[in-house]
Amino acid sequence: MSCPRTSHLLTEYFDESRSPSAREETERHLRQCPDCSNELSGLLSVQESLRHWEERRVPQWDRGVALFRAERQPELPQRRGWILQWLPTAASLVMLVLLVFDAEIYRDESGFRIVFAGAGTAVQQAQLDTRFEDFSTVQRQRQEQQLQQFLTRLDEQQARRDLDLRQAVMSEARQLGAENFERIYSYFEQQRQLDMETVQVSYQQLLDRDFETLRTMQQLAGVMQVPGQVQ
Amino acid sequence: MTSDDADQALIEAALAGSVAAWEKLVRRYEGRIYNYGLRLTGNASDALDLMQEVFLGVYRNLHRFRGDARFSSWIFRIAHNKAVDMNRRNLLLRGHGFGGDEDPFAGIDADSALEPDWRLAEEQRNAQIQTLLARLPLEQRLTVELKIFQALTFEEIARLQEISENTAKTRFYTALRKLKSIMEESHVLP
Repeated sequence: MSCPRTSHLLTEYFDESRSPSAREETERHLRQCPDCSNELSGLLSVQESLRHWEERRVPQWDRGVALFRAERQPELPQRRGWILQWLPTAASLVMLVLLVFDAEIYRDESGFRIVFAGAGTAVQQAQLDTRFEDFSTVQRQRQEQQLQQFLTRLDEQQARRDLDLRQAVMSEARQLGAENFERIYSYFEQQRQLDMETVQVSYQQLLDRDFETLRTMQQLAGVMQVPGQVQ
Repeated sequence: MTSDDADQALIEAALAGSVAAWEKLVRRYEGRIYNYGLRLTGNASDALDLMQEVFLGVYRNLHRFRGDARFSSWIFRIAHNKAVDMNRRNLLLRGHGFGGDEDPFAGIDADSALEPDWRLAEEQRNAQIQTLLARLPLEQRLTVELKIFQALTFEEIARLQEISENTAKTRFYTALRKLKSIMEESHVLP
């Protein structure tokens, strides 16, 4: 490339917006100048080679649809989400009310009716108390039975552990005399009895407290009995 | 309805909350942006990242599109800015920009052995173009991309790259000369 005009001429050549006169002048020069003409031919070949690019297909992607839905259409899913979120809580609340107030739902000629315990023809307070007493007596007996079984198992377990412990102590201190052995044995036995008593008392207290709570709830339900009906 | 009108209608519907309009708008441009990314970055993974960043940018700024310019120019402005950012990020994180690893087989899929010959030839041609473009500095590569593949005028390129029109012309000429020299060295050109 030895023509001094090549650089300027070819820099302008690719500008389609140049004037017709400038275009004509360039063409005239190219016809006369083999340097510029050769150089241009090389550059056009490069351009042509690049144009052989084959368009590739776009891999699968979500096109931002998830983001679009999340941000621009938030009302509907949010509302549905809110209802679904509170549905179990509301159901639990209804169940609790029905249980605590001993509500009954039935249908008569005027439509559906919800009647709470103590209202109108519904279960009377005395009947309710009796029902609760029966329930609590059965439950208490069952739980006391379970407690006794548990304490027996615990006692046996403790006895086994104590025996292991005593054997371990004995093997460690064979030099101890019979008198000392008796003293240690009675000490262990005493401790075991005390532990069992403590456990028994604690469980009994726990059980009493549970039934006390149940009784309080029953009393509360009695106080809050409201005659009502929903149609 | 012209292409610009169709873009405008889709934009308005998307802004009003139509997911179908948004998806259609993306479909109209994703091919161009993805192939732009392939040529610019030299590999499919970066091209996909770039395309996703571009459309995220479009999504975030859609309300700012006033319609006084063509949507295609607007989206390529975003693509240009994202490409420059991504190249800068690659320089920082990987120690090289786009095409820094100069893998001449970057554009060829690993499973292309099962594809027909014409498809392989296409892949090889694309890989060759990517390798060539990777030898150019980013600003020259972008100029070649916008001039040859996106058919923008020097005036549009200058505005997009925030340079003078003369600089855009010089960049393009310099890039072509460099590519010609590389192709002559590798006997692609006589």
